Amino acid sequence: MKNAVSGLGLAPDAAMVTFPIDMFLPGSDLSAIPARKREFYNGLLKWQSEFKVGAPEAASLLSVEGRSYEDALQKANNLLITNLWGDGLPVWPATEDRVEWILRGSALPRTHRLGKFPPRGGITTVETCAIALAMAGGRPEYLPVLIAAVEACLEPEALFDQLQATSGGPFPVVIVNGPIAKDIRLNSGFGCLGPDPQRPAGASIGRALRLMQQNVGGALPGIGTMAIYGAMRYTNAVFAEDEASLPEGWEPHGTRRHGFPRGSNSVSVYFASGVTNIRRRGAKKETPEEDVTQGLYRMADFMRTPNFAALAGWEKGTPGAMMISPVVAGMMAKLGWTPKKLQEFLWEHSKIPMETIKRAGGLAWIEIDPSPAARESIKLDPWPIAQKPENLIFIVAGGDHPTHSQWLQAHSPAVVGKPIRVPETFDRLLAESDRDLGCGSDECRI
Amino acid sequence: MTAIQFYDPCGPLEVSVPFAPRLDTLDGKRIGFVTNEQWQAFRTLPLLRDLIKADFPTAEVLPIDAYPQGNVLIPTEDTARKVKESGVDAVVVGNAA
Repeated sequence: MKNAVSGLGLAPDAAMVTFPIDMFLPGSDLSAIPARKREFYNGLLKWQSEFKVGAPEAASLLSVEGRSYEDALQKANNLLITNLWGDGLPVWPATEDRVEWILRGSALPRTHRLGKFPPRGGITTVETCAIALAMAGGRPEYLPVLIAAVEACLEPEALFDQLQATSGGPFPVVIVNGPIAKDIRLNSGFGCLGPDPQRPAGASIGRALRLMQQNVGGALPGIGTMAIYGAMRYTNAVFAEDEASLPEGWEPHGTRRHGFPRGSNSVSVYFASGVTNIRRRGAKKETPEEDVTQGLYRMADFMRTPNFAALAGWEKGTPGAMMISPVVAGMMAKLGWTPKKLQEFLWEHSKIPMETIKRAGGLAWIEIDPSPAARESIKLDPWPIAQKPENLIFIVAGGDHPTHSQWLQAHSPAVVGKPIRVPETFDRLLAESDRDLGCGSDECRI
Repeated sequence: MTAIQFYDPCGPLEVSVPFAPRLDTLDGKRIGFVTNEQWQAFRTLPLLRDLIKADFPTAEVLPIDAYPQGNVLIPTEDTARKVKESGVDAVVVGNAA
């Protein structure tokens, strides 16, 4: 709650009376309320904020000393954990030199303000991103993607303040289109959801974003975020679409969803609450048509569950992203399938009978949804998991292998696209990356 | 000794909106409730309302449904306008979990 208050520009110490969760459950004992009624009265009468209205200060520096560099590094990590700024894995302390190095990747000034990171409302600048990326083990050429992803998260339509705090624990999914993906070694193929030492960019970018969610946005488990189980991801999900393998006539996701010109660099950000593997391929003597159609039915069956993860994005967001490997996309295209046809098929066959929704107590969730269109959808039987087929994200990515697809179910009121801006010196950064990490082209990979 | 200096990663806060001043007493004051209708608010807020009425008999405590209710409606400008127009001296907001 303190996060939510400070995110509105108020001081983070609003007058509130807090109780253990038991009191907020059906049939609970309410005797604590009369017993603590004076706290309510004091909140209205005597309480005073400890904060004053005023401009924020610049990021401050901390210092540790050790007998050796390794000892100092250990102490720095200890201090980061003590201050609740780490994630349990070793981090690089964001030294002035390291942050300066990372900032070479920005096309924007260091002090450029991107917004307030919700719900806590920490002022978020390019420097804030660079500090997080430095801690996450990133490199300068990753910074443009991180900045674009943060810009997407901070768009009001994303409702990031709610997603950060909610008990479901949705995590950002950053889909990158454009040549920058290969340039910075961002994975679109085998192991694209990570980890992958040959294409490591997604790990650092996603980890930096997660650190910002915690440190700038205040999403500390059980305190700033009620994510009951957490997202099980230190790195969120940052990957690229395999544009080179898109069948003829299939536009990239960034073009279809957001209208970005093909060949331009962009991110598309939504929030997922889970990842499900789908065994897509047939096991015996299926014809090509049977193999594709049966696989699509299996996908639709996974999507047709009345758990209402998708309800938040029913009108304007997405029910999730279906990831199809390049070889499967090629098979589908040969049989006449297009992304539009695939979206329509999955949308049609993932509709949920209203009787199933009633049995699962789903009507109440639909009735209280903020979207009037979603509330109106209660009249539909069977109930579509999205208002229209185009809401479904359809991505060609993953290893060139036909057996599995991946369904990243969403809890996402919006899917936000942002262009990626790179500095004029970007080619030099890429050359330095080749120098530091070895050749990064496809020809050099194992 | 070797020293390492590094940045605080939190991003500073900007307090731009002051809280409303507190009241000197609840006696004779007009008090409202804004409820999101979640987390047993339909039980907790009426109980608190009754307590205030009993302890401050001269206070005017508005009904729980004096304003729009529920997560959908309470963050709207319309609700804020209705709260202001009702002339309340204080508002209790609940429940969060």
